[in-house]
Amino acid sequence: MRKLFALLSLLVLASLVLSACGGAAPTEAPSQPEQPAQPEQPAVTEAPVATEAPAIQEKEAVLRVNTGTYPDVIDPQKSSFVNEIGHLDKIYVGLTTLNEKLETVPGAAESWTFSEDATQLVFTLKPNLLYSDGSVLNAKRFEFAFQRNIDPATAGEYASITDEIMGAPEWRGADTAAEGYDPETFKAALGVKASHADGSDCADYEDADCNTLTLTFSKPAPYFATIAGIWVGYPAKEENIAEGGDIWWTSSKYQVGNGPFIWQSVEPFVKSVFVPNPNFAGGSIPTFSMEYSYITDSAVAFEAYRNNEFDVIGSAAEDLPVIEADPDLTAQHVTYAGSCTTKIQFSLFPTWGGQPNPFTDKKVREAFALAYDAEGWARDVDGGLGSPTWTWIPPGYPGYDATTPLKFDPDAAKAALAAASEPFNSAEKLNAMGLKMTFSDSARNRQRHEWLAANYKNILGVDLALDPVEPTTYTAIQKDPDTYPLLSRGGWCADYPDPQNWLSVYWRTGTFSDRWGYSNPEFDALVDEADTSTDTAKRAELYAQAQQVLLNDIPAAFGYNSLNHYLVKPWVQGYLTTPQDHMFPGDLTPWTITIDTSMVP
Amino acid sequence: MVTYLFRRLFWLIPVLITVSAVTFIIMRSAPGGPWDTDADRRQVDAATAKSLAAYYGLDKPMWRQFMAYVIGDTNSQTKEYVCGMICGNLGPSYRQRGRTVQDILFSAPEGKTFWQSRFGYSIRLGVMALAMAVFIGIPIGIIAALKQNTIADYVALFIATSGISVPSFVLAIFLIIIFASKLHWIDIVVDDWTQVKYWFMPMIVLGFGTLAFTARLTRSSMLEVIRQDYVRTARAKGLAERAVVFVHMLKNALIPVITILGPALAGLVTGSFIIETMFSFPGMGRAYVQAIGQRDYSMIMGTTLIYAALVAIANLSVDLIYVFIDPRIRLEE
Repeated sequence: MRKLFALLSLLVLASLVLSACGGAAPTEAPSQPEQPAQPEQPAVTEAPVATEAPAIQEKEAVLRVNTGTYPDVIDPQKSSFVNEIGHLDKIYVGLTTLNEKLETVPGAAESWTFSEDATQLVFTLKPNLLYSDGSVLNAKRFEFAFQRNIDPATAGEYASITDEIMGAPEWRGADTAAEGYDPETFKAALGVKASHADGSDCADYEDADCNTLTLTFSKPAPYFATIAGIWVGYPAKEENIAEGGDIWWTSSKYQVGNGPFIWQSVEPFVKSVFVPNPNFAGGSIPTFSMEYSYITDSAVAFEAYRNNEFDVIGSAAEDLPVIEADPDLTAQHVTYAGSCTTKIQFSLFPTWGGQPNPFTDKKVREAFALAYDAEGWARDVDGGLGSPTWTWIPPGYPGYDATTPLKFDPDAAKAALAAASEPFNSAEKLNAMGLKMTFSDSARNRQRHEWLAANYKNILGVDLALDPVEPTTYTAIQKDPDTYPLLSRGGWCADYPDPQNWLSVYWRTGTFSDRWGYSNPEFDALVDEADTSTDTAKRAELYAQAQQVLLNDIPAAFGYNSLNHYLVKPWVQGYLTTPQDHMFPGDLTPWTITIDTSMVP
Repeated sequence: MVTYLFRRLFWLIPVLITVSAVTFIIMRSAPGGPWDTDADRRQVDAATAKSLAAYYGLDKPMWRQFMAYVIGDTNSQTKEYVCGMICGNLGPSYRQRGRTVQDILFSAPEGKTFWQSRFGYSIRLGVMALAMAVFIGIPIGIIAALKQNTIADYVALFIATSGISVPSFVLAIFLIIIFASKLHWIDIVVDDWTQVKYWFMPMIVLGFGTLAFTARLTRSSMLEVIRQDYVRTARAKGLAERAVVFVHMLKNALIPVITILGPALAGLVTGSFIIETMFSFPGMGRAYVQAIGQRDYSMIMGTTLIYAALVAIANLSVDLIYVFIDPRIRLEE
């Protein structure tokens, strides 16, 4: 028995030793490729030895952010999730970027010009651009970025976003396993070309005069200057990708970029450290470092924030009552418009479950839209996490228009249902059909949909059976028109701030709307014309008309816009919020942020 | 003994193949696939999905996909033969592009050792949690049995019942509030897992349930043997109480405890989703749970097989330990 206990004692000791010593790195931490000199830090003067006064050390300005989930992939041409982009846009900046008003402004490019018919876009890069390691950043790097995004070997999840580029869909759809497949042929036919200002060919990546990138489109694309700034166009270095192989993106040493920060180190699932990039040319150089942590439990993150271990966290619904009850936290609570609109989507196919689909009748759709108490939802269900809406494009985005034909009106809803055609013109008849609302199963979603079912029961007298489905299964059934649910909650979050992204990408025939069967030739004609118009004012007008056509069709009950909720410590100052923020307020323009270290406890 | 050991290890092969077959069938029966992400965002278009399916071999018949996973297959794009599970290749992750499952689970970040891989972290925390469960749970059970129906017994039962009934996420946030928010003994945001102090809370939360179960089982086993004739005989022989308890009673009472500790160890070292999400602990439990939602087939298969192998090895270890605990037990005829 003594032996057994001795063995177990050894086990415990060994485990403690392993935990303590296992962390010691056997070798020096890998260094970044040679970095240019960092901005000088204030020197700390040694205290005179005789007096032995404690040296007063200035606190380092660090922004500590909890980002939640650790990204699956941090590769500009393969990433697609918000947490992934929230890392990439710190390391890189595209040809263009967005300002606090969500306007497209110069990033790495100094200027850009469209051809008269908007089928060609020419970017001129800022002079003397450098990567964080001091190497030259020229137009050829951006040429590689767009080529890599389109290359089917990359198979990026957002590859299709640059399909306007001539030759892009053809190359992406090519059979790479086919005999005679030659990527160089497709590359040569691609409408992406780097050159000198005079149009002559660039030599290589060291060619500092290679400052022009020409994109040629297969159709007019006046919105493409905005797309050119998103992450798929970030200039990751070809040689680093080659050297690091398939897993190059996991190592901070290969992620040499031109963004506001250098990704100095990473311990997956624990912490990433970003330091200012002295060669950043997209704005001013940030005056602080950043630490990303990856705590996914909101209650723990909230405790850490209260314990002054985070400077910024996203606030969860369950934290809101505590925040509201605490004056200090209330003062630190930052709320502003987000980037998503959520709706209750009706299936518009002629039949559902072998019987006629009631939502093909516009009056039924009108009844359900009018009966949706969006304000009650925002207040009672989402606890202030969203704001009610009766339109599609959310506030803060180009194309937002509060004019709407429908708002919550119980009496009008009942009247609309009564005015519907046979056999859908009463609650009893609809109840006989056994209407069903399908949703992605989670405790929170159950609560949400129970509220919705009660809402429709109270106002229209309609019974909605709730149909919870495992989340990935829910996505799968939504992607197939044959299995698309009769009623479901869904929505859209902006990829980039242009009405084209909200209307043409989502509601035009042949896009997302095919899943639930929405198609209107009038709407299609309007967005087609807007998508190709080079007249900014005319584009805006056409999109506005298209949105009104959409709202009048009532393909869905538009419900609420997301709100960004953050808790921000008072020493974090100067941030400029936008609905497009990914990780923290001021995320798009972090160089405006300052950390008042004198306030940090 | 050696023959027995080899025979049991040999049986691991059909066990793992069966586990992989069952897992494969179940996971591929579930609707959706690795590129079915949130429906409210831009989806992978058909051409890209086709390229990805071809690259990962998902365009092949199911039986061939399974054989490719177990034995290996030629990649249709690179034309290279890629050996499967039998070569220790657990396949490519479909979500963490470019990485293999074994790389994700067993490779440490740059410049760090195996013990800082996700598996390394989990195994260290699991061993610590088990050690805590054994060193505290067994003494609690012994004391509770020896002092039955006294205050010591009630306290022990209270601890055991709490451990079984309090969910780990409740215990975790409770400990965080007390030790981090109120007492400020530790930080909530851990950025350096090389410091021992940060391991205690995850260890307690992970091991508390096993501790409680061990304590209850030890108590009931001890109560069973405490009235046995051989215990009475030992006392009648005039043996010291310590010898009676540790040599005659505990040795026999430990058999059922050791039986559960083997699988418990396997469960503890494969990580815990709750612990990892709450403490930002970089173990492998999260990888397992997330993989299911993401339909990351290779990751599901890989983590399931590792768990199956660990359970099988733990059970084998338990069978071997029986021999040392109870001389009456023989492994072979």
